[in-house]
Amino acid sequence: MKLEVSPAPLVRQVLTGEVWPALADRHVYRVDPDGHPFVLPGMGGVTLGVHCGDPATGHASDHLEPGASIRHRDPGANMALQYLTCVGNKVQIAAGPAAGAVGHVIGQHAYVLADFPEPVLQQLAPGDPVTVFATGQGLALPAHPRIVIKNCDPDLLAAMPGGTGPDGRLEVHVAATVPAEAIGAGAGMVSEYANTDLMGAYQGLGADLSLGLEGLRIGDIVCLSDSDHRFGRGYRSGYLTVGVISTGQCMLFGHGPGPSTLMSGPADAFHILDDADANLASWLHPWPDEIR
Amino acid sequence: MTSVNLLGVAEHPVLGESPYRDDRDGVPYVPVGDGGVVLGLQLGDSVFGLRADHAAPGVCLIHPDQAARHALTAFACIGNTVRVRSGAADGAVGKVVGKRGEEGRVIVALPEDRLGQVRPGDQMLVRAVGQGLRPPQLPRDVMVLNLDPAVLADLPVDMAGDSGIAVGVRAVLPGKVAGNGIGRPSVSWDLDLQIGQEPPAAELRTAVPVLGDLIAVTDIDARYNMGYRRGWITVGVLVHGGSPLPGHGPGLTPILTGPASRIGAEPDPAGHVGLTLESLQLQ
Repeated sequence: MKLEVSPAPLVRQVLTGEVWPALADRHVYRVDPDGHPFVLPGMGGVTLGVHCGDPATGHASDHLEPGASIRHRDPGANMALQYLTCVGNKVQIAAGPAAGAVGHVIGQHAYVLADFPEPVLQQLAPGDPVTVFATGQGLALPAHPRIVIKNCDPDLLAAMPGGTGPDGRLEVHVAATVPAEAIGAGAGMVSEYANTDLMGAYQGLGADLSLGLEGLRIGDIVCLSDSDHRFGRGYRSGYLTVGVISTGQCMLFGHGPGPSTLMSGPADAFHILDDADANLASWLHPWPDEIR
Repeated sequence: MTSVNLLGVAEHPVLGESPYRDDRDGVPYVPVGDGGVVLGLQLGDSVFGLRADHAAPGVCLIHPDQAARHALTAFACIGNTVRVRSGAADGAVGKVVGKRGEEGRVIVALPEDRLGQVRPGDQMLVRAVGQGLRPPQLPRDVMVLNLDPAVLADLPVDMAGDSGIAVGVRAVLPGKVAGNGIGRPSVSWDLDLQIGQEPPAAELRTAVPVLGDLIAVTDIDARYNMGYRRGWITVGVLVHGGSPLPGHGPGLTPILTGPASRIGAEPDPAGHVGLTLESLQLQ
């Protein structure tokens, strides 16, 4: 988007974290929509083989987090890491066999989620330290004062198609539009942390569970209808929210592929355009040669 | 049915280092009434009557050990008898009127003169019974939850009819207003209804919901975790008041869930009577 952004220059803050292990408890099982127990991988640690542009659903997985899942060991520093990190921020592996490799933040999910080229992920292990170059919070669009931008690296915003249309509205390209009925776990939470699970995308389960969202891909830019995420996340008719699908397949009922919030405001401040290529893979991939 | 004695402790409200939360328009507010002992609010009062955040009618009970707190919340059921066993209100008898999620809280109504004697930290004994309840005539795909068996007869729920279960409710709301609580277990979380908007949802233009009302929500399956299932319906009791927080609102403790073909929810915007102090023999 070719847009004038806030005249106040953004700062870039150097944050640290580490690849955080997958977590479980001794009760093992969770419950799917039909009441069946399951145990499936995907959340935490390093999840291989799924990247931006790949199908979000259809994997034998729960709360699929593509790539590396990152936290900070200190609880306060972790909240700073989770709140200040933005989609599109650069992440660099700080030590270990993959030291120096660079990836991008694709979202938040109570972990910072970073996608790396597959050969890099193959070498990553829980405990490997990472450096996050955090920038984006505070980004504002003077020409669109009713729209709140959050969790969005300014370089990502610049790379996205769209911009101010002839009628003054903000044109945003999205791969899918999501009905309000799909909003699952995450409603009521702050929009700088974790993401909004979408129901209605349980591949392979009953038609009565479907809201037609089984085609979502990791990295898709989506429009959430009747959602106001300016100061938290809630249902509000006449508002909409634009997010990026940062997590995939869920079997836990009430959960599903989740968008991290990028922008939100009154629906009439936006001009939403359907575009199957509206995916992070179009702008953050293919990986530049220097990071392969 | 199995009964267990659980220990609850009257909660003291807790805040972080900032006293403020932000409402849906970004205006900071101080969250008065969010947990602890709330006076001047009882079953039958409007869910929007106080300038408060998640205010519940009476005492919120917790347990200092988080695992015990989860058990307290999951096992306690609406209508369970609660006996105060320490402090100035020692000996007072109340009833469970609902539950709240996240870390877990059990909401207890007491006679107003005894409620004013309760001090955070006072101990209360909850005689928990109800989870696992299956009335003999209940269809296989319908579930009753979070209800003391003794209370069912006093609620406007008719399971004897030939055409399925008939339930009187204040309103039938669309599933898209379901907020915080979706994706969480229905025995230990309430479902916040995002109905504080102006103008109100069409279903509420002639109905002023009060604490204790039964409300039906369409397309929500609450047998285990709560989530979207087309053609289902969930009925619950309104157990706490509204909230300025986006994604939050008056809270519903689910009591009945199943296919809409088996549960007929009959809205009565003006005359509905749900869970009341009278039906709980507190007045």
